[in-house]
Amino acid sequence: MKKLVGLFLVLAVIVVIPAIESAFAAGDEPGEYLDRRAVIWNLFFRMMTIAFVVGAVVSGTMIWQCWRFRESHPKAKPTAYEGTDW
Amino acid sequence: MSGHSNWPEWIYVGVVIALMVWVGAEAWEAERLVEHVPADAKIIKVTGQQWFWTFEHEDGTKEIGELHVETGKAYKFEIESKDVNHSFNIHDYVILMDAIPGRVNTVWFAPTDVGEHDIQCREYCGLIHYNMRGTLYVEEPSS
Repeated sequence: MKKLVGLFLVLAVIVVIPAIESAFAAGDEPGEYLDRRAVIWNLFFRMMTIAFVVGAVVSGTMIWQCWRFRESHPKAKPTAYEGTDW
Repeated sequence: MSGHSNWPEWIYVGVVIALMVWVGAEAWEAERLVEHVPADAKIIKVTGQQWFWTFEHEDGTKEIGELHVETGKAYKFEIESKDVNHSFNIHDYVILMDAIPGRVNTVWFAPTDVGEHDIQCREYCGLIHYNMRGTLYVEEPSS
């Protein structure tokens, strides 16, 4: 339970609070206009960061699986359908 | 299968869904912010036609091929076309909106720094599309 609370606290800090701040920052006050360049390019760079991180994690997992579950791995065990004649 | 655990799969599914929700929320939020036009934005009518841009300010002043605006003010472009599809683009301010005959599309911006920026057409619109350009002059406020 404590771990869950901690997780949601971290999520709140990195996602929710900045989103709320930026929502309220879109003011109507003269001279305090939103800079669309900042919003759009920030979104672009964040999306690129997410895309590359996901790509690295997925491809890294696949590479690790190929390395770990190869027949020649020291800890490899035959599965039931492969028989026990190793 | 006895002894089989599929919790890694559920974690994977959860992470993927969380990422998709996050990405969608961020994009939605950015779109909402960018489309929120300030109440005091000055309206500039933008008309695209083969192969030049015409601008009309609120006070009736018209400009062809060049547009003068002031820093610290917000401007809302009402973009339309007289003939074929065009696309109104000010690259330096990340403005890109189609100009379509019979339809008014809007986009707004607030220039921050004095300078000159290119205006161009970003939808192939005929022979001289490549030269359907203009210049945005951002100046100090007059008053």
